[in-house]
Amino acid sequence: MANQKLFVSSHAPYWHNRSSLSAKSYNIMLAALPAVIMGIFQYGPPALGVVALSVSTAMIWELIMNYVTKRQVSIGDGNAAVIGLLLAMLLPATTPWWTVVIGTFLAVVVGKQIYGGIGCNPLNPTLVSIAIIMLSWKGLLDFDEALVNYDLGFYMVYPLAALKHLGTSVVSNYSVGELLMGQYPGAIGSTFGLGLIIGGIYLILRGMIRWEISISFLAGVFLTAFLFNISDSEKYAGPLFHLLTGYTLIGAFFLATEDSSSPVNFIPMLIYGACAGFLTVLIRNIGAFVDGTVFAILMMNVANPLLDKIRPKSLGKGIKHA
Amino acid sequence: MEVKTERMIAYSLAAILLVVGVICYAAFAKKAPEQPIRIMLKNTGGNVLFDHKEHMSESGYGIECIDCHHDLENEGDKPEACGECHIDDGEDAPTRPDAFHKQCQTCHEEGGGPVNCAECHAM
Repeated sequence: MANQKLFVSSHAPYWHNRSSLSAKSYNIMLAALPAVIMGIFQYGPPALGVVALSVSTAMIWELIMNYVTKRQVSIGDGNAAVIGLLLAMLLPATTPWWTVVIGTFLAVVVGKQIYGGIGCNPLNPTLVSIAIIMLSWKGLLDFDEALVNYDLGFYMVYPLAALKHLGTSVVSNYSVGELLMGQYPGAIGSTFGLGLIIGGIYLILRGMIRWEISISFLAGVFLTAFLFNISDSEKYAGPLFHLLTGYTLIGAFFLATEDSSSPVNFIPMLIYGACAGFLTVLIRNIGAFVDGTVFAILMMNVANPLLDKIRPKSLGKGIKHA
Repeated sequence: MEVKTERMIAYSLAAILLVVGVICYAAFAKKAPEQPIRIMLKNTGGNVLFDHKEHMSESGYGIECIDCHHDLENEGDKPEACGECHIDDGEDAPTRPDAFHKQCQTCHEEGGGPVNCAECHAM
C-alpha cells in the first residue's frame, strides 16, 4: 500500500505518557552521576563545592532571568540544573568560586535565556560558557597548573597536554584501563570513561539522547585519529587514546546531543556527529588548542540549521511562507 | 509530577546545593601542602611543570633540600623567596631565569637529566 508510511493518529481522548522535561533533565543528571561521584571521590570537597555551586547558581540565574523577562518560573524543568552540572563536569576541582558564578551566568543567560529560553538556543549553553572561560582565562582550564597540589598516585599530567607538548612517547604512560577508570588528571566529571559510557548507554536506551549523534561523533573521532595515526604514528596518537581522553566521551553523550542545538533527522545527525568528531581530532592534532571538543561541537552547532535543511524537513522547521 | 511539586524540588535543590557549595569553598578549599608536589614555573620560553616531589623523594631523585634551597640553615626551616636576599639593586643579583637555569642545568648535566630546552620548557 502506498500510504503505509503515513503517520496515523487516533482520535482523542489521549493518554499522557507521563514524560516531561523534568524527567528528562533528572535522567541526564542521573546518567552523569557516576562520573561526577568519581570526580568528587578523587578530588574531594573542592570538587563537591564546584559541582554544588555550579548547579545552584545556574538555577538561580535562570530564576533571576524568569523574573527579569516576566516569564513563568522554569527552574522546575531541571534544564538549568543540567547546564550547571555539565559545566561543573568540565571544570577542574580547583576552579575559583567567581569563575563558577560567571560560568553559569554565561551558560544560562548568554547561552540560553537571551535566545528565549529552553529550545531556542542555537548553541549548547554549557559549551558557550566553557569556550568563553577557555579564551578569557586560559590558565583556569590548564589542568596541569590547576591540579599541582594533588597527588593521586598515578601519572599526574593531563594526557592531551602531554601529547601536545611532549609527543606520542607519553601515550605509553596511560593504559586503556587507567583511562577508562579515570586514573589521570582532568576535569571533575570528564575523566571516568567507564562511568560516562554507562551513563551514555543509559540515556540512549531510555531514549533521552539520539544514538546517531553519539555513535557518529565517536566514529568521527576514531576514524580521523586512525587516519592521522597511520599517516605518522610517531607524531599522532592512536584512536583509542583520543577516544578515552579529554572531553571526548562527555562530548559524545552529554554535549553534542543537546536537543536545541543538534539536528533531528537521521542523515543530518550522522553528518553533525561525524564532523564534530573529525574537527575534534583536527584541532587536537594540528590546531592550537590541547582539546578540540568544545570548539568542534560549537562549530557544528552553528552548522546545525544548514544540516537540518537536508530533506526530509523536520516537522515545524524550515517552513516557507509560514 | 505536578508543576508546583517540580518547582518546590528545584527550589529546595538550589538552596541546599548553594549552602553545600559555600561551605565547601569556605571550609574545605584545597590548600597548598607544606612541601609542594608539583610547581608550574611560568615563563615566556614555555612553562615548566616541575615535579618537586619526584626530585626530593627517596624513591625519586633523592635531592636534599639544601642542594637547591641554599638559604636553609636548620632542618625544618622554610625556604625564603629569592628576592628576600638577592635584592635587585642593580648589582650582582642574578636574574630569575639565570638562577633557575644554573640550578637545573648543572644538576641535569651531571646527573643525566634532560638538557634540551623543550624537554623542560614543554608546557
